[in-house]
Amino acid sequence: MLKLLKRLPAITPETPDEALVRRAQGGESAAFKALFERHVVAVRRFLRDLLRTPDAADDATQETFARAHAQLVKLPDHDRFKAWVLGIARNVAFEAMRVRRHDALDEDDDALPVAVIPSPDPEGLLLDAELEKHFAHALGTLSETRRAALLMRLDHGLAYEDIAQAFGWTLPTVKNEIHRARLKLRVALLPHLKGERP
Amino acid sequence: MSRCGRTSHLESLLRHDEPELRAHAKQCALCRHELNWLESEAALFRQRAGRDEVAHLWSGVVRQPPRRRFGLLMAGLATAAAVLLLLAAPRTARTADEGPLETDALMSPALNFDDEPGCSRLPSGLGFTCQSSLPASVLASR
Repeated sequence: MLKLLKRLPAITPETPDEALVRRAQGGESAAFKALFERHVVAVRRFLRDLLRTPDAADDATQETFARAHAQLVKLPDHDRFKAWVLGIARNVAFEAMRVRRHDALDEDDDALPVAVIPSPDPEGLLLDAELEKHFAHALGTLSETRRAALLMRLDHGLAYEDIAQAFGWTLPTVKNEIHRARLKLRVALLPHLKGERP
Repeated sequence: MSRCGRTSHLESLLRHDEPELRAHAKQCALCRHELNWLESEAALFRQRAGRDEVAHLWSGVVRQPPRRRFGLLMAGLATAAAVLLLLAAPRTARTADEGPLETDALMSPALNFDDEPGCSRLPSGLGFTCQSSLPASVLASR
Protein backbone atom coordinates (compact mmCIF):
# COMPACT_ATOMS: atom_id res chain seq x y z
CA MET A 1 0.00 0.00 0.00
CA LEU A 2 2.83 2.35 0.87
CA LYS A 3 4.30 1.64 -2.54
CA LEU A 4 1.08 2.76 -4.16
CA LEU A 5 1.13 5.97 -2.19
CA LYS A 6 4.74 6.68 -3.03
CA ARG A 7 4.98 9.94 -4.94
CA LEU A 8 6.50 10.00 -8.41
CA PRO A 9 9.35 12.44 -8.99
CA ALA A 10 8.26 15.90 -10.05
CA ILE A 11 8.16 16.58 -13.77
CA THR A 12 10.83 19.07 -14.76
CA PRO A 13 12.23 20.28 -18.09
CA GLU A 14 15.01 17.75 -17.57
CA THR A 15 12.65 14.78 -17.26
CA PRO A 16 13.39 12.75 -20.40
CA ASP A 17 10.67 11.92 -22.90
CA GLU A 18 11.17 8.26 -22.14
CA ALA A 19 10.15 8.75 -18.49
CA LEU A 20 7.22 10.96 -19.44
CA VAL A 21 5.95 8.38 -21.90
CA ARG A 22 6.12 5.64 -19.27
CA ARG A 23 4.26 7.78 -16.75
CA ALA A 24 1.66 8.87 -19.31
CA GLN A 25 1.14 5.24 -20.27
CA GLY A 26 0.50 4.60 -16.61
CA GLY A 27 -2.34 7.11 -16.70
CA GLU A 28 -0.60 10.22 -15.38
CA SER A 29 -2.23 13.03 -17.29
CA ALA A 30 0.36 15.60 -16.18
CA ALA A 31 3.02 13.52 -17.94
CA PHE A 32 1.10 13.59 -21.20
CA LYS A 33 0.53 17.32 -20.85
CA ALA A 34 4.28 17.75 -20.35
CA LEU A 35 4.90 15.81 -23.57
CA PHE A 36 2.36 18.03 -25.30
CA GLU A 37 4.00 21.21 -24.06
CA ARG A 38 7.42 19.95 -25.07
CA HIS A 39 6.50 19.01 -28.63
CA VAL A 40 3.46 21.06 -29.60
CA VAL A 41 5.45 23.90 -31.16
CA ALA A 42 7.33 21.53 -33.45
CA VAL A 43 4.24 19.53 -34.34
CA ARG A 44 2.22 22.64 -35.06
CA ARG A 45 4.98 24.10 -37.24
CA PHE A 46 5.30 20.80 -39.11
CA LEU A 47 1.55 20.79 -39.76
CA ARG A 48 1.48 24.43 -40.77
CA ASP A 49 4.23 23.73 -43.28
CA LEU A 50 2.21 20.84 -44.69
CA LEU A 51 -1.28 22.31 -44.57
CA ARG A 52 -0.25 25.92 -45.13
CA THR A 53 -3.02 27.59 -43.14
CA PRO A 54 -2.86 28.39 -39.43
CA ASP A 55 -6.41 27.28 -38.67
CA ALA A 56 -5.97 23.92 -40.38
CA ALA A 57 -2.66 23.49 -38.56
CA ASP A 58 -4.33 24.21 -35.21
CA ASP A 59 -7.07 21.64 -35.83
CA ALA A 60 -4.61 19.07 -37.04
CA THR A 61 -2.35 19.67 -34.05
CA GLN A 62 -5.20 18.98 -31.66
CA GLU A 63 -6.20 15.89 -33.60
CA THR A 64 -2.60 14.69 -33.62
CA PHE A 65 -2.23 14.90 -29.85
CA ALA A 66 -5.67 13.41 -29.25
CA ARG A 67 -4.64 10.42 -31.37
CA ALA A 68 -1.29 10.28 -29.66
CA HIS A 69 -3.00 10.13 -26.29
CA ALA A 70 -5.35 7.42 -27.44
CA GLN A 71 -2.56 5.33 -28.97
CA LEU A 72 0.19 6.00 -26.45
CA VAL A 73 -0.08 2.54 -24.93
CA LYS A 74 0.99 1.17 -28.32
CA LEU A 75 4.29 3.06 -28.34
CA PRO A 76 6.94 0.46 -27.52
CA ASP A 77 10.03 2.66 -27.95
CA HIS A 78 9.58 5.12 -25.14
CA ASP A 79 12.42 7.32 -26.32
CA ARG A 80 10.98 7.81 -29.80
CA PHE A 81 8.02 9.99 -28.89
CA LYS A 82 8.96 12.89 -31.16
CA ALA A 83 9.41 10.73 -34.25
CA TRP A 84 6.23 8.86 -33.41
CA VAL A 85 4.07 11.94 -32.89
CA LEU A 86 5.41 13.54 -36.08
CA GLY A 87 4.43 10.33 -37.88
CA ILE A 88 0.91 10.72 -36.53
CA ALA A 89 0.92 14.39 -37.56
CA ARG A 90 1.95 13.40 -41.05
CA ASN A 91 -0.98 10.97 -41.26
CA VAL A 92 -3.40 13.59 -39.96
CA ALA A 93 -2.12 16.13 -42.46
CA PHE A 94 -2.32 13.72 -45.37
CA GLU A 95 -5.85 12.78 -44.42
CA ALA A 96 -6.74 16.46 -44.28
CA MET A 97 -5.25 17.04 -47.68
CA ARG A 98 -7.01 13.98 -49.05
CA VAL A 99 -3.81 12.92 -50.69
CA ARG A 100 -4.48 10.63 -53.57
CA ARG A 101 -2.36 7.59 -54.11
CA HIS A 102 -0.87 9.08 -57.22
CA ASP A 103 0.64 11.94 -55.24
CA ALA A 104 3.75 9.99 -55.98
CA LEU A 105 7.32 10.32 -54.89
CA ASP A 106 8.47 11.59 -58.24
CA GLU A 107 5.77 14.21 -58.68
CA ASP A 108 8.22 17.08 -58.91
CA ASP A 109 11.12 15.22 -60.45
CA ASP A 110 10.94 17.25 -63.62
CA ALA A 111 12.05 20.29 -61.69
CA LEU A 112 15.14 18.63 -60.28
CA PRO A 113 18.01 21.02 -60.90
CA VAL A 114 21.04 19.63 -62.63
CA ALA A 115 23.26 22.70 -62.65
CA VAL A 116 25.57 23.56 -59.78
CA ILE A 117 23.77 25.89 -57.41
CA PRO A 118 25.92 28.61 -55.86
CA SER A 119 26.06 28.42 -52.10
CA PRO A 120 24.97 31.20 -49.74
CA ASP A 121 26.87 32.60 -46.80
CA PRO A 122 25.31 31.06 -43.69
CA GLU A 123 26.87 33.65 -41.40
CA GLY A 124 24.60 36.58 -40.80
CA LEU A 125 21.72 34.92 -42.60
CA LEU A 126 18.63 36.67 -41.27
CA LEU A 127 15.16 35.29 -41.72
CA ASP A 128 13.19 38.51 -42.00
CA ALA A 129 9.51 38.65 -42.91
CA GLU A 130 10.28 38.84 -46.61
CA LEU A 131 12.62 35.89 -46.60
CA GLU A 132 10.23 33.88 -44.44
CA LYS A 133 7.55 34.44 -47.06
CA HIS A 134 9.84 33.20 -49.81
CA PHE A 135 10.90 30.30 -47.62
CA ALA A 136 7.31 29.22 -47.07
CA HIS A 137 6.64 29.56 -50.78
CA ALA A 138 9.72 27.48 -51.62
CA LEU A 139 8.57 24.75 -49.26
CA GLY A 140 5.18 24.88 -50.90
CA THR A 141 6.65 24.04 -54.28
CA LEU A 142 7.54 20.56 -53.02
CA SER A 143 5.12 17.67 -53.22
CA GLU A 144 3.36 16.98 -49.93
CA THR A 145 5.14 13.71 -49.32
CA ARG A 146 8.55 15.06 -50.11
CA ARG A 147 7.92 18.20 -48.08
CA ALA A 148 6.95 16.13 -45.05
CA ALA A 149 10.12 14.06 -45.31
CA LEU A 150 12.30 17.14 -45.71
CA LEU A 151 10.73 18.88 -42.73
CA MET A 152 11.14 15.83 -40.54
CA ARG A 153 14.84 15.82 -41.32
CA LEU A 154 15.81 19.49 -41.57
CA ASP A 155 13.38 21.15 -39.20
CA HIS A 156 12.82 18.43 -36.64
CA GLY A 157 16.11 16.58 -36.77
CA LEU A 158 14.70 13.07 -37.15
CA ALA A 159 17.10 10.33 -38.10
CA TYR A 160 16.78 8.94 -41.61
CA GLU A 161 15.83 5.62 -40.02
CA ASP A 162 12.92 7.21 -38.14
CA ILE A 163 11.66 8.89 -41.31
CA ALA A 164 11.90 5.59 -43.17
CA GLN A 165 9.77 4.00 -40.49
CA ALA A 166 7.20 6.80 -40.56
CA PHE A 167 6.82 6.60 -44.33
CA GLY A 168 7.34 2.89 -44.82
CA TRP A 169 10.23 3.64 -47.16
CA THR A 170 13.66 2.10 -47.45
CA LEU A 171 16.62 4.07 -46.17
CA PRO A 172 17.99 4.82 -49.68
CA THR A 173 14.54 6.08 -50.72
CA VAL A 174 14.43 8.45 -47.76
CA LYS A 175 17.87 9.82 -48.56
CA ASN A 176 17.02 10.18 -52.22
CA GLU A 177 13.72 11.95 -51.54
CA ILE A 178 15.24 14.37 -49.07
CA HIS A 179 18.15 15.06 -51.39
CA ARG A 180 15.80 15.91 -54.24
CA ALA A 181 13.65 18.07 -51.98
CA ARG A 182 16.76 19.87 -50.77
CA LEU A 183 17.92 20.69 -54.27
CA LYS A 184 14.56 22.05 -55.25
CA LEU A 185 14.33 24.12 -52.08
CA ARG A 186 17.77 25.56 -52.71
CA VAL A 187 16.92 26.58 -56.26
CA ALA A 188 13.78 28.32 -55.03
CA LEU A 189 15.57 30.04 -52.16
CA LEU A 190 18.76 31.13 -53.85
CA PRO A 191 17.49 34.36 -55.46
CA HIS A 192 16.37 35.55 -52.04
CA LEU A 193 19.50 34.78 -50.05
CA LYS A 194 22.04 37.52 -49.62
CA GLY A 195 25.71 36.80 -49.99
CA GLU A 196 27.34 34.05 -51.88
CA ARG A 197 30.37 31.96 -51.22
CA PRO A 198 32.50 30.44 -53.94
CA MET B 1 38.44 12.02 -49.35
CA SER B 2 36.21 9.44 -50.95
CA ARG B 3 32.94 10.89 -49.62
CA CYS B 4 33.53 14.46 -50.76
CA GLY B 5 30.40 16.59 -50.90
CA ARG B 6 28.19 13.85 -49.48
CA THR B 7 25.36 15.53 -47.61
CA SER B 8 24.74 12.69 -45.18
CA HIS B 9 28.42 12.75 -44.27
CA LEU B 10 28.67 16.51 -43.80
CA GLU B 11 25.41 16.73 -41.87
CA SER B 12 27.19 15.30 -38.86
CA LEU B 13 29.05 18.61 -38.56
CA LEU B 14 25.76 20.33 -37.73
CA ARG B 15 25.31 18.13 -34.66
CA HIS B 16 28.81 17.68 -33.34
CA ASP B 17 32.19 18.91 -34.36
CA GLU B 18 34.55 16.62 -36.17
CA PRO B 19 37.77 18.59 -36.47
CA GLU B 20 39.23 16.41 -39.19
CA LEU B 21 36.14 16.64 -41.36
CA ARG B 22 35.75 20.38 -40.76
CA ALA B 23 39.39 20.96 -41.68
CA HIS B 24 38.86 19.01 -44.86
CA ALA B 25 35.69 20.97 -45.67
CA LYS B 26 37.63 24.23 -45.42
CA GLN B 27 40.06 23.04 -48.06
CA CYS B 28 37.68 21.19 -50.36
CA ALA B 29 35.46 23.35 -52.57
CA LEU B 30 32.82 20.66 -52.98
CA CYS B 31 32.48 20.01 -49.27
CA ARG B 32 32.64 23.73 -48.42
CA HIS B 33 29.85 24.41 -50.89
CA GLU B 34 27.63 21.71 -49.44
CA LEU B 35 28.42 22.70 -45.87
CA ASN B 36 27.50 26.33 -46.61
CA TRP B 37 24.12 25.16 -47.79
CA LEU B 38 23.58 22.83 -44.86
CA GLU B 39 24.44 25.58 -42.39
CA SER B 40 22.23 28.07 -44.22
CA GLU B 41 19.28 25.67 -44.19
CA ALA B 42 19.82 24.95 -40.52
CA ALA B 43 19.97 28.68 -39.74
CA LEU B 44 16.73 29.35 -41.59
CA PHE B 45 14.84 26.51 -39.91
CA ARG B 46 16.27 27.45 -36.51
CA GLN B 47 15.11 31.04 -36.85
CA ARG B 48 11.61 29.96 -37.75
CA ALA B 49 11.30 27.80 -34.66
CA GLY B 50 9.59 29.05 -31.54
CA ARG B 51 7.56 31.80 -33.15
CA ASP B 52 4.20 30.10 -32.97
CA GLU B 53 1.52 30.72 -30.41
CA VAL B 54 0.26 27.35 -29.28
CA ALA B 55 -0.98 27.78 -25.72
CA HIS B 56 -4.62 27.64 -26.78
CA LEU B 57 -4.32 24.20 -28.36
CA TRP B 58 -4.28 22.07 -25.21
CA SER B 59 -7.93 22.74 -24.46
CA GLY B 60 -8.79 21.33 -27.88
CA VAL B 61 -6.86 18.16 -27.17
CA VAL B 62 -8.66 17.49 -23.91
CA ARG B 63 -12.00 18.30 -25.54
CA GLN B 64 -11.57 15.61 -28.19
CA PRO B 65 -14.22 12.88 -28.06
CA PRO B 66 -13.31 10.92 -24.95
CA ARG B 67 -13.97 7.55 -26.54
CA ARG B 68 -10.60 7.97 -28.22
CA ARG B 69 -8.69 8.49 -25.05
CA PHE B 70 -9.50 5.64 -22.79
CA GLY B 71 -7.45 3.04 -24.58
CA LEU B 72 -7.70 -0.51 -23.53
CA LEU B 73 -9.93 0.11 -20.52
CA MET B 74 -12.64 1.66 -22.65
CA ALA B 75 -12.24 -0.92 -25.39
CA GLY B 76 -12.77 -3.64 -22.80
CA LEU B 77 -15.77 -1.91 -21.29
CA ALA B 78 -17.22 -1.28 -24.74
CA THR B 79 -16.88 -4.93 -25.62
CA ALA B 80 -18.53 -5.96 -22.36
CA ALA B 81 -21.40 -3.54 -22.95
CA ALA B 82 -21.86 -4.82 -26.49
CA VAL B 83 -22.07 -8.39 -25.21
CA LEU B 84 -24.59 -7.33 -22.55
CA LEU B 85 -26.69 -5.57 -25.15
CA LEU B 86 -26.64 -8.54 -27.46
CA LEU B 87 -27.71 -10.88 -24.69
CA ALA B 88 -30.40 -8.57 -23.29
CA ALA B 89 -31.89 -7.27 -26.52
CA PRO B 90 -34.96 -8.81 -28.07
CA ARG B 91 -34.30 -10.45 -31.42
CA THR B 92 -35.46 -7.73 -33.77
CA ALA B 93 -34.16 -6.77 -37.16
CA ARG B 94 -31.49 -4.07 -37.10
CA THR B 95 -31.65 -1.05 -39.34
CA ALA B 96 -28.66 0.05 -41.35
CA ASP B 97 -27.73 2.87 -38.99
CA GLU B 98 -27.44 0.69 -35.93
CA GLY B 99 -24.33 -1.18 -34.95
CA PRO B 100 -20.89 -0.24 -33.72
CA LEU B 101 -21.82 3.41 -33.29
CA GLU B 102 -24.18 2.45 -30.46
CA THR B 103 -21.43 0.78 -28.56
CA ASP B 104 -19.13 3.75 -28.90
CA ALA B 105 -21.81 6.21 -27.89
CA LEU B 106 -23.01 4.21 -24.95
CA MET B 107 -19.55 3.93 -23.53
CA SER B 108 -18.78 7.60 -23.76
CA PRO B 109 -18.71 9.10 -20.27
CA ALA B 110 -19.56 12.47 -21.83
CA LEU B 111 -23.04 11.24 -22.65
CA ASN B 112 -25.90 11.08 -20.24
CA PHE B 113 -28.71 8.58 -20.56
CA ASP B 114 -30.04 8.93 -17.04
CA ASP B 115 -33.41 10.17 -18.25
CA GLU B 116 -33.68 7.79 -21.16
CA PRO B 117 -36.23 5.01 -20.76
CA GLY B 118 -34.62 1.61 -20.93
CA CYS B 119 -31.12 2.90 -20.03
CA SER B 120 -29.22 2.42 -16.82
CA ARG B 121 -25.73 3.36 -15.68
CA LEU B 122 -23.14 0.60 -15.66
CA PRO B 123 -21.72 -0.38 -12.25
CA SER B 124 -18.36 1.11 -13.27
CA GLY B 125 -20.02 4.52 -13.65
CA LEU B 126 -18.26 5.05 -16.98
CA GLY B 127 -21.12 4.32 -19.31
CA PHE B 128 -24.66 3.19 -19.79
CA THR B 129 -26.44 0.15 -20.99
CA CYS B 130 -29.63 0.60 -22.96
CA GLN B 131 -32.20 -1.50 -24.66
CA SER B 132 -31.39 -1.78 -28.33
CA SER B 133 -34.65 -0.05 -29.28
CA LEU B 134 -32.85 3.30 -28.90
CA PRO B 135 -31.91 4.25 -32.48
CA ALA B 136 -28.32 5.02 -33.33
CA SER B 137 -29.36 8.38 -34.73
CA VAL B 138 -30.52 9.41 -31.26
CA LEU B 139 -27.27 8.27 -29.75
CA ALA B 140 -25.23 10.06 -32.37
CA SER B 141 -27.03 13.33 -31.72
CA ARG B 142 -25.83 13.43 -28.11
